[in-house]
Amino acid sequence: MIAKPLSFALAVAVFVAGCDGISGRPAERIVVFNAGSLAIPVRAALDSFAAREHVTIAQENAGSLETARKLTELGHIPDVIALADYEVFPQYLMPAQVDWYLNFAHNRMVLAYTPKSRFADEITPENWWQIVQRPGVQVGRADPNLDPNGYRTLLTMQLAEKYYRAPRLYDSLLAHAPRNNVRPKEADLVGLVQAGEMDYIWSYESLASAAGLKFVQLPAAIDLSSPADSARYATAQVRVRGKTPGDSVTFRGQPIVYALSIPKKAPHPDLAERFVAYLISGEGARIMRATGLDVLDAPLVVGSNAPAAVAAAARRADGPADSVADSVADSVADSSTASDSAARADGTAP
Amino acid sequence: MVIGPAGSGKTTLLETVAGIIPQRAGTLRLMGRDMAGVPPERRGIGFVYQRGYLFPHLSVEENVGYGSADPAFVRELSERLSVNALLARDVRGLSGGEQQLVAIARALAARPRVLLLDEPFSALDPRRRSLVRRTVRALHEELRMTVLQVTHDFTEAGLLGDIAILLDGGRVLQSGPPEQVFRRPASPYIAEFLGAENVFAGEVRVLGEQGRPAAQQGVDSRNPESTSNVDVSTSDAGDVTSTGDASGIPGDGHDAIEFRTGPLTFYTVGDAHSGLGYAVIRAGEVLLSLEPQHSSARNNFRGTITEVATTGALAHVTVDVSGISIVAALTTRSADELSLVPGAEVWVSFKAMAVHLC
Amino acid sequence: MTHAGTVAALPRSRSSYRVASVLAALLASLFLLFLFAPIVRLIVSGGAGGVGRLFSDSELRGALWLTALTATSATLLGVLGGTPLAYLLARRGFRGRAVVAALIDLPLLIPHPVAGIALLLVLGRESAVGSALLHAGIRVAGSPVGIVCAMLFVSAPLYVSAAREAFARVDPRYEAVGRTLGDPAWRVFRRVTLPLSLRGLIAAGVVMWARAVSEFGAIVILTYNPKVVSVLSYDRFTSFGLHEALPVAAALTILALIPLTVLRALRPESGAGATP
Repeated sequence: MIAKPLSFALAVAVFVAGCDGISGRPAERIVVFNAGSLAIPVRAALDSFAAREHVTIAQENAGSLETARKLTELGHIPDVIALADYEVFPQYLMPAQVDWYLNFAHNRMVLAYTPKSRFADEITPENWWQIVQRPGVQVGRADPNLDPNGYRTLLTMQLAEKYYRAPRLYDSLLAHAPRNNVRPKEADLVGLVQAGEMDYIWSYESLASAAGLKFVQLPAAIDLSSPADSARYATAQVRVRGKTPGDSVTFRGQPIVYALSIPKKAPHPDLAERFVAYLISGEGARIMRATGLDVLDAPLVVGSNAPAAVAAAARRADGPADSVADSVADSVADSSTASDSAARADGTAP
Repeated sequence: MVIGPAGSGKTTLLETVAGIIPQRAGTLRLMGRDMAGVPPERRGIGFVYQRGYLFPHLSVEENVGYGSADPAFVRELSERLSVNALLARDVRGLSGGEQQLVAIARALAARPRVLLLDEPFSALDPRRRSLVRRTVRALHEELRMTVLQVTHDFTEAGLLGDIAILLDGGRVLQSGPPEQVFRRPASPYIAEFLGAENVFAGEVRVLGEQGRPAAQQGVDSRNPESTSNVDVSTSDAGDVTSTGDASGIPGDGHDAIEFRTGPLTFYTVGDAHSGLGYAVIRAGEVLLSLEPQHSSARNNFRGTITEVATTGALAHVTVDVSGISIVAALTTRSADELSLVPGAEVWVSFKAMAVHLC
Repeated sequence: MTHAGTVAALPRSRSSYRVASVLAALLASLFLLFLFAPIVRLIVSGGAGGVGRLFSDSELRGALWLTALTATSATLLGVLGGTPLAYLLARRGFRGRAVVAALIDLPLLIPHPVAGIALLLVLGRESAVGSALLHAGIRVAGSPVGIVCAMLFVSAPLYVSAAREAFARVDPRYEAVGRTLGDPAWRVFRRVTLPLSLRGLIAAGVVMWARAVSEFGAIVILTYNPKVVSVLSYDRFTSFGLHEALPVAAALTILALIPLTVLRALRPESGAGATP
C-alpha cells in the first residue's frame, strides 16, 4: 500500500535531480557541425574544452556540402561550423549565414590501404599510378557531388596525368575507380577497404592515419597539400553539380584548407567564441594535431565582422609572415576571378 | 464403437489410428498391415471430425469430390446421403447438420477401407441421423468397410457396432461384443458410466402405425380397447409376447416396433428399419412389482429374481425372464419393502419409451 | 432490488462506454494524423513537380525502375525461401524453434549500416561466397545484386513473421482431413493450406516489398551506384536541397501507392479463411 506513493515520489526526485545536472544548475550546450574528416580532431578538442567549461556537447558530422545544407535548407544553425573546404563558405554560406571564416588546418590527398590490399607490399610513392591500373585492383573514391574529397580526387588525377606525362592517365585512373566504387563520403569508404572490398581508397592523410590505415604519400606537386604549388594546382579543373539541377560549379585545384566560422544566428555566440579561440590556441591545436590533423601555424581570417576574440587569437598565433596563410589568401583571390570566366571543364564530375 | 466420457482420449485415439498423430508405442495394424511409418494418405482410412471441417474455399461439390476421381460416384453418394441439393452451394451457408452430412459424404467418397467417425451424429437431427446410420451400415457391408466410431453416448448414436470398446483416461477399460461389455461391466465405475445394464441383441420388426407387422395389417383378434386384462400367452415357438394393446401409438409419425430377443418380444417406438440390432434398457427404467400392473407400461413380464446386489441405498435386482436376464435398479428401501430376494417371483415392466434401439 | 435502482445503474455504464469510445476515436484520429500529415504534405509540396519529373528526369526514372526491379526480386526471393521456413515454424514444434524464431528477427534489430557491413563480410570479394560469385562474374558490391541482398536481409524477417501467422491461422485439422482423403503433405499444402492462407501471405509480401523499397542505410554500404530511389533522394537533398529532394520523394510515394493499394484490395474486409 505504501509502496506506490513512495516509489512515485522517488521517481519524481530522481527526475528533478537529473534535470538539474550534477552541478546543480542547467549546463550550457555547444552545438558544432563539422565535416566528416574533422570528426575526430574536433571531438578531441571539444571534449577537452567541455570538461574545462562544464558544458555539454552536441556534435554532428556530415559531408561539407551536406553540412552547409543544414543551415541553408533546414534552418539548423550550430554554434560553430567547420568544413573540409573553405570554398564552401563563399560559395554557399556567405553572406546569408556567415560574415567571415577562419582557415585553420590543411590536409593532403593520399591513397589509403591495408596489408590485405593487392600489391600492398609493392606500392610506393613512385609506382602507385601503375599499381592501381593493374587488373583486379579495386579503387574507391567519394562522390564528387557530395564530398569535396570526391572532386579533389579528380583534380589529383588530372594533376597526375600532367606530372607523370602519361597521356590518358586521367581517363584510365577514373576507369579503375568506376561508378560502382563511388560512395557518398570518404568516411563510407573506410569500412570497405577494411573489409577488403576495396584495395585502395582516395583519402586524406588525416583520415587515413586516424583510421589506422596505411597510406601512400603522393608527390607534393599533385596532392593538394602545398601552398607553394598553388599555381600548379590551379591548372586542374573539375565541374560538379551546382545548387540547382542543371547548374554546375567549377572547382579549381587548391591546397586543401579547413575553415570554420560562427554563424550569424548561432544559439550560444559567447560559448562559440571561446571554443574557437581555444581551438586555435596552443592547447587546442596540440590536441588536434595529436589526432592527425595538420593544424596551420598561422590561422587566417577571411571576411569581416569576426569576433574580437577570434581575430585576436589569430593574430597571436600569426608569427613572421607565414607563407601558408598568404599563399592561401592569394589562391583564394585567384580562384574567385578564375571561376568568373568560362569554365575550361577539364574534368566534369562523372 | 469406442465409448468414453469427454476427455478420455477418444479423438486422440482416432487421430492416432488415422496417422495424424504419430504413435509412440505399440503396434497398429490395419487390414493386417503394420501401419508404423505409413502416412495417413496411404492408410486407406476416412476421417470425420465432430465438426465438419469442410474446406471453406471449395464448394460443397468440390469438398465431397476432394478425395475421389470418380464424379459419378460422388453424385451417387450425394444422392444416397441426400446432400445432392447442396452440391452447388457455398460451404459457409450450410447448417451444422448439413455440414456434418457433407463431411461424411466427403470421407465416404474416397472409398476408405476403414471409416473413423468422431461423434459424428451429435449435430444431426433424428431423421438425418438414421439416414446416415443406414447408409454407413450399407456401405459397411457393400464395401466391406470397417467403421470405428467414438461417442460419449452410444444411445444417441443409434448405431451400436459389432465390438464395443470402453475408453477412459486414454486406457481401454473393457472391450468385446456389446452385450457382454454392457452386461458384465468390469467395474462399478463402468457400469455407472454406461448406465445400461440391459443390452439385448435381437431382431427389429417395424409394425407400422396400426401396430401390426406391415405385412399383416388388418388382422386383429384382440380388443383394441381392452387394457384391463393382462395375459401372458405362449406361442408355439416359445415366444413370450407381452399382452395388452398391441396397436400402434397414434400420432407423431414414429413407428411401432417389435423387438425380439430370444423368447422375449419388446415393444418400443422408434425410427428403425427391420433387421438385426440391439435394444438397450436402463436399469433405472425397469419397474418391479409383486402383482401384475395395470399401467401405461407396454412391456410386462413375469420372472424370478436371481440376484440382489445392494450398494448403499441403491439395489440392482436381476430377474430371469424365460432365460433372459433383466436388471432393475431401485432403492434398497423399496427392495426391502417388496421383500425382493433371490427366488421370489416378480413382475417386470417398462415402458416402450424405455427401450432404446441401436 | 427496486426498479428505480436498476434503471439508475444503466445510464452510468452506458455513458462510460460512450466516453471510452470517444476517447478511442480521438486517439485513433491523432495517430492517423501523425502518420498521414507528413506524407500528404510531401505529396502536396512535391507532387505535381514530382509526377512531371517522371517525364523529364531520366535519372529519376532509372532509379524508380531499379528500385522496382530490385525490391520485387528481393521479395520473390524472400517468399521462395521464407515460405517453407514460416510453415515449419507454424506447424512443427522442433527443438530450438524459439531460438530460430528469435534469430530470424535479429536483422530487424541491427542498425542498417551495420547490416550492410555484415553482408559485406560474407558476400564481399574477400569472402568464400563472394569470391566464388566473382569467379562466376558476379560482383555483389557496387551492383544491383548487392542492392537485392541488402533489401532481402532487412525485409525478409518481416515476411517470415507475417507468413508464419498466416499459416498458424489455418486450423491444422483441415490439413489432417486432406491427408486422410488421400493427399500427401505437399498436395494438401497446395490444395488446402495455400488457398486458405493466401491472403495473409500476400499481405506479408506487401509488407516485405514496402520495407525493401524504403531501405537506405544497408544499401548504400554495398551499392551506391547505380542508385535506387532512396539513395537518389538523399543525393538530391545533399546536392540541391529540399526543393529538389521533395519531387523525388513525392514521385516515389505516389507510384508506390499503386501496387500497395492493389494488393491491399485483394484482401476481404472480414478475416481471411474464416472457418465455418
